[in-house]
Amino acid sequence: MDWLLFGIFVVLMLSGVPLAVAMGLAGTAVVAASGLGMMSLPTNVYTGIAKYPLMAIPVFVIAGLIFERAGVAATIVRFASAVVGQRRGSLAIVAIMVAMILGGISGSGPADSAAVGAVMLPSMLKAGYPRQFTAAVIAAAGSTDILIPPSIAFVIYSLLVPQASVPALFAAGMIPGILSGLTLILVAWWLSVRHGFESEPAEVRPPFWQSLKDAGWGLAAPVIILGGMRSGFFTPTEAAVVAVFYGFLVGKVIYRSLSWRDIYEVLVESAEIASVILTVVALASVFAWASSTLGTFDHLANAMLGTGLPEIVMLISIQLLLLIAGMFLDAISIYFIFLPLLIPIAIHYNWDLVWFGVVITMNMALGQFHPPLGVNLMVTCRMAGVSMESTIPWVLWMVVAMAGTMFLVTFVPELALWLPRTLGYL
Amino acid sequence: MAVTMGALCVLTMVNVLVRYFTDLSFAFTEEISVVLMVVMTLIGASHAFGNNHHIAIVFFVERRPALRVAARRLATGCSLLMFGLLAWYGVRMAWDDYLYDVTTPSLGFPQWWYTIWLPLISVLIVLRLSVVLYKGEK
Repeated sequence: MDWLLFGIFVVLMLSGVPLAVAMGLAGTAVVAASGLGMMSLPTNVYTGIAKYPLMAIPVFVIAGLIFERAGVAATIVRFASAVVGQRRGSLAIVAIMVAMILGGISGSGPADSAAVGAVMLPSMLKAGYPRQFTAAVIAAAGSTDILIPPSIAFVIYSLLVPQASVPALFAAGMIPGILSGLTLILVAWWLSVRHGFESEPAEVRPPFWQSLKDAGWGLAAPVIILGGMRSGFFTPTEAAVVAVFYGFLVGKVIYRSLSWRDIYEVLVESAEIASVILTVVALASVFAWASSTLGTFDHLANAMLGTGLPEIVMLISIQLLLLIAGMFLDAISIYFIFLPLLIPIAIHYNWDLVWFGVVITMNMALGQFHPPLGVNLMVTCRMAGVSMESTIPWVLWMVVAMAGTMFLVTFVPELALWLPRTLGYL
Repeated sequence: MAVTMGALCVLTMVNVLVRYFTDLSFAFTEEISVVLMVVMTLIGASHAFGNNHHIAIVFFVERRPALRVAARRLATGCSLLMFGLLAWYGVRMAWDDYLYDVTTPSLGFPQWWYTIWLPLISVLIVLRLSVVLYKGEK
């Protein structure tokens, strides 16, 4: 039975069937074959998504899009370039900083990469950066988004691992996220210096205070979201809703850049993005239910624990496994497939589940811009009009840097755990 | 279709907002917003099937043109099967809820008002997928 479950899933997945459907059908086949009762099918799909915490997902998607449409991204770019000034690689650094700040508003990597790409790509190309490098930098920068709160990935993780609360995960992702961003900035700067990008100043440095004032409305958004959650005013879902209305007000009243047509488009677009994510969640719950009823993952986890590997070897093999999986699958599917297997192992070794969530989410972040199937890289390559293969000489440096940060957090858990503990979430 | 999605999103947000600003325990709005989210997900999923936006690994099949058309068909066929099953058993789930007068926990509405949406929209998705299958590749 265990093999039937995985066999059907893998075959369907590799033949290009949508992931959600592949998981759903594999689960259904097992339910049918082992006589578990077909009525569990609609029940699981329905209860799989009829969950209040999941509401944070569509709303955070809207929040990100509405801030992009309101023209907040452009003011943040001006502010970031005022901070960075004119130096080699300044635009690449600005792109990464902007992605990090926007990451504090929206919660999905591909959406963030698209937003940053739309703003930064033209000016970076004009300043003489190679297209491949530009696509690589923006894709890598967008991946910090699932670490820097708010993050859709953490909402899903917390759903599957109730011991790790969303606020604790959000707080734990903060320092690793910023650290990854800084590492990427270092790599982008080093590459720019080495290859002499942007040898002539592209644009005049905007005045600092003026740009801070313009960007203030946008910069306040992450403060409102995170501050509101920290002070206990809002739950994550409510914080997202407040962010949406704040973005709406900024765009409508202050910048006057949002038309009703824009808002309508934002709603439609975000509904579709969110429903693609939630479809995976819905059908994956059939898969998850079938496998947990059969005890598939207990067998596997016991088999893995039975090998008697030392703790550290186990941890590193898990990371390698997820790294490979991350090249082909998106973060949410990976959580549904692997967490039921990994959590018993993590509990066996007494690993902190919040820290574990951060580490595997970093792994997912890495997968988002790792060729051949990084979703962020797909988005930015399409925007820059280059093939994914051609970005490899650039993107590999960033993959190495990000992996380095990941191993740092793996071996120094305090990097993730210090903040949530200080804030009293642990 | 797009209008419903927009409307649903707004309603969802309004629900949460009302709860927050009135400072009352409007726990029952959660129930409605959750159902709205289910409906939105399914309608959006149908939309995404139409636009081929669902997450799939096409890396292996896109390389071989001979396989491509067949793979698309397989993908559509599998999705059709999945939602067909959901529609069929979903009707039975809603029917059971109706038969046994199951009511919702916080509002006390008949449960089938909520569960009926799953099979209804699944039928919609099935129809849409049949059109995709019939028309072939865009």
